[in-house]
Amino acid sequence: MSEIKEIIKGCLAGNRKDQELLYRRHSAKLYAVCLQYSGNNEEARDILQEGFIKIFENLGNYKHEGSFEGWMRRITVNTALEKFRSRNSLYRVDDIDQMPEPDAEPDNQDYAGLEAADLLEIIRELPPKYRMVFNLYAIEGYSHKEISEMINISEGTSKSNLSRARVILQRRVGSFTGIKKRIANG
Amino acid sequence: MDERRANIDLAFRNGLKDYEVLPPPDAWMNIDSRIARKDKPAYFLRAAAFLAIAMTMSVLAYRWIGKTSSMLDNSVMALSEESSAPVFSDNLINPVSRQVRIARSEVKPIDKITENSEADASSTSDERVSSVFTLPQSNLHIPIKTSTFNIIRNKAAIPEIPNNDLFVDDISQEYQDYLVDNTVSDNNHRWSITALATPTYYGKINSASDALSQQIKASEQAVVSYTGGVALSYKVNKRFSIQSGLFYSSVGQDLEGINSFAGFQKYDNTKGDHNFEVLTTNGTVYTNNADVFLFADGNSDRIVTNYNKDVFDPQKASLDYINNTMRQNFSYLELPVFLRYKVVDRTVDFNLIGGLSYNLLLDNSVYTVVDGSKYMIGTTAGLNMFSISSSIGMGMEYKFSEKLALNLEPTFRYYLNSFNSVSGSQFHPYSFGIFSGISYKF
Repeated sequence: MSEIKEIIKGCLAGNRKDQELLYRRHSAKLYAVCLQYSGNNEEARDILQEGFIKIFENLGNYKHEGSFEGWMRRITVNTALEKFRSRNSLYRVDDIDQMPEPDAEPDNQDYAGLEAADLLEIIRELPPKYRMVFNLYAIEGYSHKEISEMINISEGTSKSNLSRARVILQRRVGSFTGIKKRIANG
Repeated sequence: MDERRANIDLAFRNGLKDYEVLPPPDAWMNIDSRIARKDKPAYFLRAAAFLAIAMTMSVLAYRWIGKTSSMLDNSVMALSEESSAPVFSDNLINPVSRQVRIARSEVKPIDKITENSEADASSTSDERVSSVFTLPQSNLHIPIKTSTFNIIRNKAAIPEIPNNDLFVDDISQEYQDYLVDNTVSDNNHRWSITALATPTYYGKINSASDALSQQIKASEQAVVSYTGGVALSYKVNKRFSIQSGLFYSSVGQDLEGINSFAGFQKYDNTKGDHNFEVLTTNGTVYTNNADVFLFADGNSDRIVTNYNKDVFDPQKASLDYINNTMRQNFSYLELPVFLRYKVVDRTVDFNLIGGLSYNLLLDNSVYTVVDGSKYMIGTTAGLNMFSISSSIGMGMEYKFSEKLALNLEPTFRYYLNSFNSVSGSQFHPYSFGIFSGISYKF
């Protein structure tokens, strides 16, 4: 039996040491996902906590088919979705024209110079509705039809939000790399 | 244009793949407490199961002792005990045994990004996860106040981000301490040594119903005794510990209505080794002090002697009156084998404690007190050199620090075999004490 199966078995038996072990192994990766789906750290922490509680509650349903980490990630994303739906009406979409213009259009090398932390920070600056659509489409790989059902919007709105998210991201990356270049050039 | 947008998607997807950020230290505590609440019914079931096992063991041991006693033709029951050391295993790997290393990864150039990233993502890491138990080693960032990112950031050009304290390159000491406190300590502090002591109240359950036994019992008063010693326990897992140690206990009772006089030796003409026998619930007391004269108030059947009051009058012989109470005292060396089950694991822990103690008789004396000094009278005959007692209790443990804790353990003890096996009636002592002491984990 693989070690992860033993840990899952221990968790199912209520062994708190195994539960903590599972958390320690996977929390950092799942917390990064939570940050990706939330605009502030408190919300990310809430998603992580609720997600892990669901993971522990539903461990018995995991069939050991496919990636266990992928299974946990799906639960975490679903938890973020639930949180989003509960607050959806509170989110307003910022006017895209108010976003600062980039110093220059980012090219391939600009992306290459960005670290994962930079990308996460940029993605978290997106308005919540744009961020959710971009995450579900670009990162998780859902279709617009699926996204429309998930967050109760039309397919057209999903496409529109994605398009606007990309524009904002492009501008942010441009501004970001422009600053880096200026600093590098003294 | 479409290609460039697709590249943006890929840049974010691949750049964030396997990215890791340590969550706040209190996240696990919140999760743990929520899980613990949901698991509570299971704890009670386990506790009930533990109690049932302890009681079953006690009954079986009692019946086994009964059989053994009936096979022995004398009053001394010898128990051969072999203890096998428990084998413990700890397959868990120390969760922070490896140094956490943090590195920031660069995003791959877009011309090197391929669509196989999806496959990479889906094949994540049961193998990698199972290979080590460590915090992530790539793309790992921990939220603390300072950030190298802040240095290069131009706030005027980029809108304010509320999470600018998110990423750093070094793990904070606070977080390391947290990890050590919450993960390593269980493995490093499996042993604990505890000094415990308690005053003890003793009583007896009488299975005999004859008049003499009842009269004898009515004249006996348990005295507050004491028990103390050192316990060594090994934590088998988060809930169960096995405990042993060495304890010294002193058990006693006062025999009232037995008048004692000194100065009898000059009138003693018998050749026997004792002049008086006093019946007690713990056995018969034989006097070994030839200078003492005894007679009982009321029912003289309690004392067997050739020198009853019809034969010898201590007042006419001008013997010195000492006392009308004798004290019967036994001392035992105890070897307990207890199981401890942690019901509540918080700052104040609650444990269920149960098990057996093997008691070796060290001292057996009967005396009376005159002017603050002991005046030895004799010993109790027919005592079992070994006895077995079962204990059940609830232990509370207040942690002063990671290693030191205050223990308070109300414990009820029932002796499975009586102190003696010749009195004809069976008196099973029981005791209650509240052990208190300090424990040290290592």
